[in-house]
Amino acid sequence: MKIDDPTVLDILRRSMVARIATLSRNGRPSINPLYFVASDGHLWLGTSDWTLAARNVTADSRVSILFNVEKDPTEQRVLRISGRANVRTDQEIIRSYNICVARKYILTPAGIINALAHLRQIPLKLTYNAQGSEKGQACVIDILPERAEFLYNQSAGNLA
Amino acid sequence: MKRVTRDIDPRDAQDLLERVPRACIAFTSDIGPVSQPVVLVWQTDHYFVGIPGNADHKPEFGNEVVLLVDEGVQFFDLRAIYIRGKAISIEVPAGEPAGRIWFDVVPTKMVAWDYGMLREVEDEN
Repeated sequence: MKIDDPTVLDILRRSMVARIATLSRNGRPSINPLYFVASDGHLWLGTSDWTLAARNVTADSRVSILFNVEKDPTEQRVLRISGRANVRTDQEIIRSYNICVARKYILTPAGIINALAHLRQIPLKLTYNAQGSEKGQACVIDILPERAEFLYNQSAGNLA
Repeated sequence: MKRVTRDIDPRDAQDLLERVPRACIAFTSDIGPVSQPVVLVWQTDHYFVGIPGNADHKPEFGNEVVLLVDEGVQFFDLRAIYIRGKAISIEVPAGEPAGRIWFDVVPTKMVAWDYGMLREVEDEN
């Protein structure tokens, strides 16, 4: 299935969390949930350059990513995209990613409600983010999709 | 010296194993990493994972897999349990339909996190 197929774009538009499978230098698998945005045919996943996902992509650019539609429990399709990725730390992409993430996750009714419900933890979140900055740089895992396919939510009992 | 952590005791994320909001695995194949949605049946120390029998790629039994069960969209709602282990072939668990291949993930490492539980802890480093 092509990446620009309308059904693929529809799932990407409605999905909120990407679960990215990567391999270490030694070929060991890992999978991590990350926020993402779609941009000009690429997928951008935000993390820091010291995380396992970023270090793995630096070692082996092949990735396999799952996308659910979390807000719609009736949507049983799970989109799997395979492709190649690289880790980018240039300020241009970091700035663009941050703007897109703010629009998608933070400056939304759900994002504001979530923050207001955890006001006392906001200082902890800021400290947590600062700790991450001390370990390394913010980065974007920039993915060029090569293949898309639909699987199904196995928890719902489908066999596909 | 203190630091802020998201990490929790995996036993405090046990509800994820009971409810299984989203479950998937990653494993290594000849085409690279593979991610796959799975059905998870948790029984105390056993993590029975089923994937469709007709899946394009399947983990090799005895090889390493990572099982991720997670939930949440907004920052403070994000929770997960992450289990790295060996895939051991098993029969279809009682009460489960045929059509899937099943394996038990025998854990070698297990971590859990909950961003709603961000807190300060003593930095042991």
